[in-house]
Amino acid sequence: MEVKTGDFVLPGDFLATAEEFVPGEGAYEENGNIYSSTVGMVLVDIRTKKISVFPKTKTPPTLKIGDIVIGRVEEVRDQFLTVSIAALVGNENRELPPPRLALIHISKVQAGFVKDLSKLFKPGDIIKAKVLNAQPELIQLTTIGRELGVLVAFCSRCRSPLDREGNKLRCPSCGSVETRKLSVHYRQEVAK
Amino acid sequence: MEKPEQLIVDGKRLDGRAPEELRPIKIVAGALGRADGSAYIEMGNNKVIAAVYGPREMHPRHEAQPDFAVLRCRYTMAPFSVEERKRPGPDRRSIEISKVIREALQPALFLELYPRAVIDVFIEVLQADAGTRTAGINAAAVALADAGIPMRDLVSAVAVGKVDNTIVIDLMKAEDQWGTTDMPVAMMPRKKAITLLQMDGHFTEEEFKRALDLAMRGCEQIYEAQRRALKEKYAVGGTE
Repeated sequence: MEVKTGDFVLPGDFLATAEEFVPGEGAYEENGNIYSSTVGMVLVDIRTKKISVFPKTKTPPTLKIGDIVIGRVEEVRDQFLTVSIAALVGNENRELPPPRLALIHISKVQAGFVKDLSKLFKPGDIIKAKVLNAQPELIQLTTIGRELGVLVAFCSRCRSPLDREGNKLRCPSCGSVETRKLSVHYRQEVAK
Repeated sequence: MEKPEQLIVDGKRLDGRAPEELRPIKIVAGALGRADGSAYIEMGNNKVIAAVYGPREMHPRHEAQPDFAVLRCRYTMAPFSVEERKRPGPDRRSIEISKVIREALQPALFLELYPRAVIDVFIEVLQADAGTRTAGINAAAVALADAGIPMRDLVSAVAVGKVDNTIVIDLMKAEDQWGTTDMPVAMMPRKKAITLLQMDGHFTEEEFKRALDLAMRGCEQIYEAQRRALKEKYAVGGTE
């Protein structure tokens, strides 16, 4: 029985032999045969000899280059900061599987030279960023762009949320003034 | 309930089934709104719900494994699921069943795809009539597929046993209680690989072979029901 593009398959369904095709997304190879690992529709690519299954179910979120994520700043170092990713924008209802620790290099924080990274981010800030590299060993993000950057910042003296005043942030309770790499959506939109 | 004289009369069981006949099965994929994946199953008078969450971050953190996901199963019976009120909460029996269900489902999953994560499977028995662990496995397999978790195969399960010296499939309460043998079997139907085999009672070697063969044929039928449930929810136009 030949499997065609558009066929509905379940996990374990035979798709092709390993001599004919290579398994793509939603397929796996075992004992010289290719089987589906997903509930979905078969996609046969004759040109690249790839057979994959496009899922019809909801799937666990996976990061791709270009995805927008929301996360919390964990640590700010000289050359980079680390962020723990909380959600993938567009898939907020399902938790992102680990590893969720990502890195933003100083050169990918904003267009132009950055002298002091600690003036742009502080631990605990909630940020919006774009995925540059989605490899699980090293997830890299960028905050270059008007939409990207800090969404909510907290006063480094008293931890209360800071109010925006032009390009600066002021603490409503202790009056301290801080700077951040702000998103245009600062304290307007946390997640849709 | 009192023990009947005979459990099999003129080749028919107490509920009118033939020895190698399953109880009617109904499966609904995606029965719950909040879970990442879910299923509801009725196997005769058994009513079981399975819910799957994850892969998600493991809490407590120290139980996470650095190179694969942990599968965590919890089988529980509702207080109203049996004749006498069952005290809620985990007990010796449900902890053991949770463990065997986990081990029955585990070979079907690609756990190495999600290091440090946990996949939670909750199995709630709403009404019990013998064979709840097999009903739980059947529901959990559909729920895992419904959650979009990559799987090698589904898992189908059914019990076989010996009642009045006859090999029967899919035992109900009376047969489980007064029969001589009960043997739940779970397998990956496409791979023909057994993932659970327990036995309470005795079989001769010959009986065991026949019983296992019957169980495997029963699993095929259950697999068809699982397949239908997933197809009903996800196949557009019902094409295959």
